[in-house]
Amino acid sequence: MQLKGKTFTNISITLAAASCALAAPVTAQPSELGSWDVDAGLLIYAESDHQVQAYEGALSLTKQIDDERSINLKGIIDVLTGASPNGAVAQNKAQTFTRPSGNGSYITAASDTPLDDTFHDTRVALSTQYQQQLSRLWLYSGGAYLSKEYDYLALSINSALARDFNKRNTTASLGFAYAYDTIDPEGSIPNPGVSVDDPNNRLTDSDTKQTLDLLFGLTQVIDRQTLMQLNYSISDVNGYQTDPFKILSVVDSNGWANNYVYENRPDQRTKQSLFWRTKYNIQPSGQVLDVSYRYFWDDWGIASHTIDSKWRVQLSNQHFIEPHLRYYCQQAANFYRVYLDKGQPIPEYMTADYRLGELQTYTIGLKYGFPIAGNEFSVRLEYYLTQVSGDDGLAKGDGMAGLDIYPDKSAIMIQSFYRF
Amino acid sequence: MRRILLLASVLSLTACSSLGVTPWERDLLAKPEMQLADNPMEIGFDDHTYFSKEGSSGGGNFAGGGCGCN
Amino acid sequence: MKKDDLLNKDNLLQQGDTSKKAFTLKRKSGYWLGEFTVMASPCQILLDNLDEAKAYSLTAQAYAEAKRIELKYSRFRDDNIIARLNSSADETISVDEETTRLINLADLCFQLSDGLFDISSGVLGKLWHFKQQTQLPSDAGIKALLPNIGWQKANWNEPLLHLPKDMKIDLGGIGKEYAVDKVARLLQQQTDNAFLVNFGGDIYVNKSRCNGDAWQVAIENPQHLGESKLMVSLVQGGLASSGNSQRYIEVDGQRYSHILNPKTGYPITGGPAQVTVYAQNCVQAGMLATIALLQGEFAEDFLKAQDCRYWLSN
Repeated sequence: MQLKGKTFTNISITLAAASCALAAPVTAQPSELGSWDVDAGLLIYAESDHQVQAYEGALSLTKQIDDERSINLKGIIDVLTGASPNGAVAQNKAQTFTRPSGNGSYITAASDTPLDDTFHDTRVALSTQYQQQLSRLWLYSGGAYLSKEYDYLALSINSALARDFNKRNTTASLGFAYAYDTIDPEGSIPNPGVSVDDPNNRLTDSDTKQTLDLLFGLTQVIDRQTLMQLNYSISDVNGYQTDPFKILSVVDSNGWANNYVYENRPDQRTKQSLFWRTKYNIQPSGQVLDVSYRYFWDDWGIASHTIDSKWRVQLSNQHFIEPHLRYYCQQAANFYRVYLDKGQPIPEYMTADYRLGELQTYTIGLKYGFPIAGNEFSVRLEYYLTQVSGDDGLAKGDGMAGLDIYPDKSAIMIQSFYRF
Repeated sequence: MRRILLLASVLSLTACSSLGVTPWERDLLAKPEMQLADNPMEIGFDDHTYFSKEGSSGGGNFAGGGCGCN
Repeated sequence: MKKDDLLNKDNLLQQGDTSKKAFTLKRKSGYWLGEFTVMASPCQILLDNLDEAKAYSLTAQAYAEAKRIELKYSRFRDDNIIARLNSSADETISVDEETTRLINLADLCFQLSDGLFDISSGVLGKLWHFKQQTQLPSDAGIKALLPNIGWQKANWNEPLLHLPKDMKIDLGGIGKEYAVDKVARLLQQQTDNAFLVNFGGDIYVNKSRCNGDAWQVAIENPQHLGESKLMVSLVQGGLASSGNSQRYIEVDGQRYSHILNPKTGYPITGGPAQVTVYAQNCVQAGMLATIALLQGEFAEDFLKAQDCRYWLSN
């Protein structure tokens, strides 16, 4: 009679795989091998007060080549129209600005925020992404991207490796991306800090920018209902990062702007972010709560917090609704200026672009989905409010008395998706 | 502040090896609405919009394709 | 393809004995109970929070699918693939996709159990029929059968199977659990609600009930039938029991389980009388329970090394 026990190997994993295969229907995957999955999307973005409007259409095709490999091709077209703040500050008088191309000018009425309406652009982007399961635990993903619009060309490649641990409960990944952008603006690259009226305010025709991205990711299954993701990313950007169409007002002691100069941003920027996302399946209803938080900081002095949450509620007949709430706040770049003071030396770096200023944004939206011909169709309506903050005391003198020099911006977004 | 955040994230990682589920408890996690990339097109649209209108980028994935929007 | 199969089976329902209903559907508090008898076992489908029409439809389909599997893989019929294989004299036969998967699983279990799980050991059932048997079979009788037993002697090269002459295979050890998982898959495709499939103690549940509670299942004590010993809470997965609660020989006060060692021809001795396993699906649970019992006194050591929950009864 043996007194000590016998040791056995764990066969339950092998059995699990084999037994799952038994009851599975012939094609268990969402797409049969060899056929394309199509994802089509449409975005309409419209700001209030005749500002920016954007229309974007995207088509994404994915093919499962075999059990281990898949390839994705994506094409995007977007059209941008409307007017965007040019960086000059509002005045209690009408202002005239020359178009970047040099052909013609536009007038901003008194007390209005100056908007440059020369934004008419069409952009086309193409990308491809390839994924391969290198072995049971290792996954590789690599891709390339190209985007072209009238005055901008962006090219990039990316590559990432992921490995599973702990019975596939943990996935660690490391990815990198490299981008090379060329900007060739109408009217060529402006001389920074130089007056818009100066005849020598142009430099070269075009300039470039290179970006190197590193992303460290960790995904962890917490329990049967909960999944979490934690990412750290660091980006190094080198090259021309100024907006060639943006200017700053040079304002005298009585608040009147009588000169405008081109902005200038540093040639180098290091960005970092920490991102945490949780997906929670509420039982027994099956509703899914998706919440994420991102903390972003860079060496331009910008730091921001983003909280994004979605709550998916399944209804009968395969319909669903998904409310969405997002909050964002950022502190201004250290070279952000509402305007420059006449008589002070022009700083080396300065921008009045509100997008680098102090702001809070709020998004509230609702998505509704239902099947059409057995495939998922959904439509999403969102309201996006941006509040710009700053020292109201800067609205000085007769030139700016009573003006809101930090105008809020609101936009409506409609998105629509169809997958088949 | 940033160092504390990074350290907290790293420390929480070490506790990860005891978390998780057995293979047959993956029923909910396998559902499409529980996937991290459940709607890449929607994430793409949002990322592009917020990248164009705000000063930050990236987080969930690479900053995405560049464009002249910012 | 699958839908056509079901439609044909619906006809069978009508052609069958109309004096006795194929299945019954009863309303219980909070759920529907569909019942029928297939594979000589009482079968139940518990459906949470559905309307009657849907419950009826799902029970009908569950019955049809279970019956289909019984007819296709029963060793008591002479018109199915099992009969064909068992009457093949040195022929190589090509089997269909479903049978291929089942044979692959049986082959895998044979490897993983070091030859103890063997679908060719069914012929021992002639000697160990376990129905009011009062005497042990003779040594000579058992020795005479052993040359025809041993899956290693079969030639399986999917989908081609060549059985030696006089070898008979029996998928009874997998069939009921397989039927549970197939019916569960069928129900999952048609409803998001919670359900429980129970074919004579082989169970699958897909999710907890709509009020958030788990399904409560009582496991019978093999020594005292009718008196349940253990309450198990199931949320998602398969539960299967292997053991001698229903079929056994008792000679001189000693119970011989119906789990036979194919290498010796005798029942496995020592170890628990019954093993119940809770795992990912019913087939996996059933295979783990059976292979555990085949380890005899080392059943618990085996189970401890696996990813499952288990209960033993002596």
